[in-house]
Amino acid sequence: MAESFTPPIRLTRRHLLGASLTGIVLSRPAIPRAQESPIRIGFPVPLTGPYATEAQDQVRCAQLAVDEFNASGGLNGRRAELLARDDKLNPGEAATRTLELIEKDKVDFIVGSLSASVQLAVNNVARQRNVIYNSISQSDQIDALPDWSRTTFHEAMTPHMTAGAVGRYAFGKYGKRVVFLSADYAYGAEMVAGFKAAGAPLGIEVLAELKHPLGTTDFSTLMPRIAALKPDILCLCNFGRDQQIAVKQATDFGLKRTTRIVIPVILYTARLAAGPQAYEGVVGGTSYYWGIESSVPSAKAFNDRYRHAYDGKVPSDYGALGYAGVRAVLAGAARAGTTATDKVVAALEGMKYDFYKGAETYRACDHQAVQSLFIVESKSKDMSGPADVFSVLATDPANEASLLSCSAEGHAS
Amino acid sequence: MRRDAWIARLTPHRAALASLFLLVFPLFMPFKAIAVNILIQGLFALGFNLLYGYLGLLSFGHAALLGGGAYACGIVIVRFGMPWWIGIASGTLAGMLVAAAIGALAIRTRGIYFAMVTLALAQCLYFVAYQAVDWTGGENGLRGVNVAGISLLGVHLDIVRPLVRYYFVAAFVIAALFVLSRILASPFGAAMEAIRENETRARACGYDIAASRWLAFVLSGGFCGLAGALQAIHLGIVPVETLYYTTSGLAVMMTLLGGMGTFFGPFIGAGVFLLLEEVVSLWTVHWQLLVGAVFVACVLFFPRGLWGTLLAGHAR
Repeated sequence: MAESFTPPIRLTRRHLLGASLTGIVLSRPAIPRAQESPIRIGFPVPLTGPYATEAQDQVRCAQLAVDEFNASGGLNGRRAELLARDDKLNPGEAATRTLELIEKDKVDFIVGSLSASVQLAVNNVARQRNVIYNSISQSDQIDALPDWSRTTFHEAMTPHMTAGAVGRYAFGKYGKRVVFLSADYAYGAEMVAGFKAAGAPLGIEVLAELKHPLGTTDFSTLMPRIAALKPDILCLCNFGRDQQIAVKQATDFGLKRTTRIVIPVILYTARLAAGPQAYEGVVGGTSYYWGIESSVPSAKAFNDRYRHAYDGKVPSDYGALGYAGVRAVLAGAARAGTTATDKVVAALEGMKYDFYKGAETYRACDHQAVQSLFIVESKSKDMSGPADVFSVLATDPANEASLLSCSAEGHAS
Repeated sequence: MRRDAWIARLTPHRAALASLFLLVFPLFMPFKAIAVNILIQGLFALGFNLLYGYLGLLSFGHAALLGGGAYACGIVIVRFGMPWWIGIASGTLAGMLVAAAIGALAIRTRGIYFAMVTLALAQCLYFVAYQAVDWTGGENGLRGVNVAGISLLGVHLDIVRPLVRYYFVAAFVIAALFVLSRILASPFGAAMEAIRENETRARACGYDIAASRWLAFVLSGGFCGLAGALQAIHLGIVPVETLYYTTSGLAVMMTLLGGMGTFFGPFIGAGVFLLLEEVVSLWTVHWQLLVGAVFVACVLFFPRGLWGTLLAGHAR
């Protein structure tokens, strides 16, 4: 019976084999790469797993940057091409994908990643092969030696910047008695350190530093302890589902009556998923919120292009970083007039740009994007639509003083 | 019958045949990094198979052996600036040491209890690595295991180049294949299979069951530790996930997919699994669904694994 089905299958397989053999034969000879070959950008992000929503928006935004570049004529006619790959939120997988992108696809640049460990893995592979990597997720280490290299750029914010800006705002406004509740891993520790660094000159009093394991579902033993301390501020240094549950249980325990809940990074996507009640009154920092378009013209332009391309929706914060990260390396290539690594690095160093959130620049010593940061409060009423989730309380302007100093990161200057 | 005769004739040359295959293998691969991954995961599964396939001990703690090797190699290179060959030697040794320690504690239990004890001890090691940030980089993983050039007898090898890296790793894997073949052909290999088939009888014949199991575990650790060291050099990083229990699960899955108790099955399992993941995840984000379905189908229709079924033929 199976025999009668084999001919068509064989035929297709033969076609496939033939096609792939032709492909191999054609790609094998060392033909010098023609000027018209596209500029290829490898984009490893976690398309599956807990951050899939954010990652998919990053791809949408990155594609927008590529389309824009191509529509404006590319680099002397050379078009750009985005190669999105699933890094599965796993550093080993990300390293393999990066090797694939560099060795097989011969990408000119790598942009992407959505976790500290993954970006450090991608960076390690890219720097060894002298390929420019622009990271779009938070990490302090990537700016510092020994991880940093000349080809490393960091478009995202660092925990130091984020916690610092949020801390300066919150400690000045809501009070100095603080309790930290952090997830027991690198991200939590870095955020707590950032808050303390910002709070020290303001004279904050740390009442307690509580840690919980990753993936905690029950905070009910911790909440009464926190409530008994009556802090002015509860800093929640955790992420994703941990954060959603912690915020919800803090609300249920009535903590919000006496205490302001402050979060270093408040995600647009997480707030949408959790709903307005849980996050009501929570204050946090974000690299981007579409609502700044009323005062920032480049944000308006970016939002409009996104709305036009994707059914009137608005971009998320991490998505926008995908846009800026890709657009930055393309702008660098355009300025350098080539994709050669050294020339593009030189073009990007100190480059001033305003792609989507106001003026930014890559600091010379560590290639960190000096950028503004927005303090937002989650809304539960007076919302003009489902996307209207935050009100912008303050803007922490782009300022090099908000960054860790070059010498603290181990750089010469 | 003819098939059996062929298999019997070729078995003494299994290591050489497998090596020949590995030498031409990268030519058929979509990219070299995945070929290297298949080599390394295949070696890892091979180490696991030594214990599970040939001795019948199901360990769920092999991540500790792979990760122990990877971290040992990475730490001597990154923290002490040692050359690559010391890294590989330390990785192999560390795999054996971790196996010796876990084995000493777990070897007297059997069946599901052995699986649970090994799983628990491996998780202990995971949390140690997670906390020892100064040594292991903690959650961020150990970065900078960058071995750029290797000088061997006056010849300079640039292992950043994909094909050179493949053959560099393949050299170690091929050596491991010959060592494994030798172990299996030795009296100790026969004793392992005897214990697997009938433990009571093996004991009655005078074999020291506990010592044999422990030795097999340590040897298994050597192969897995080597795989870990090669992985550290290949990827340039040691992710803390290497020690996580899902890595142990991967070894079980690849071995079952290829065929437990077969010489080359683990490589087939590793190859099929990683290629499937690679191909499917390129066109859908729901790749896990399809890979899972294929695994279920394999367990249902090829209980001996793909390679095992091929060897056994249709007759059985």
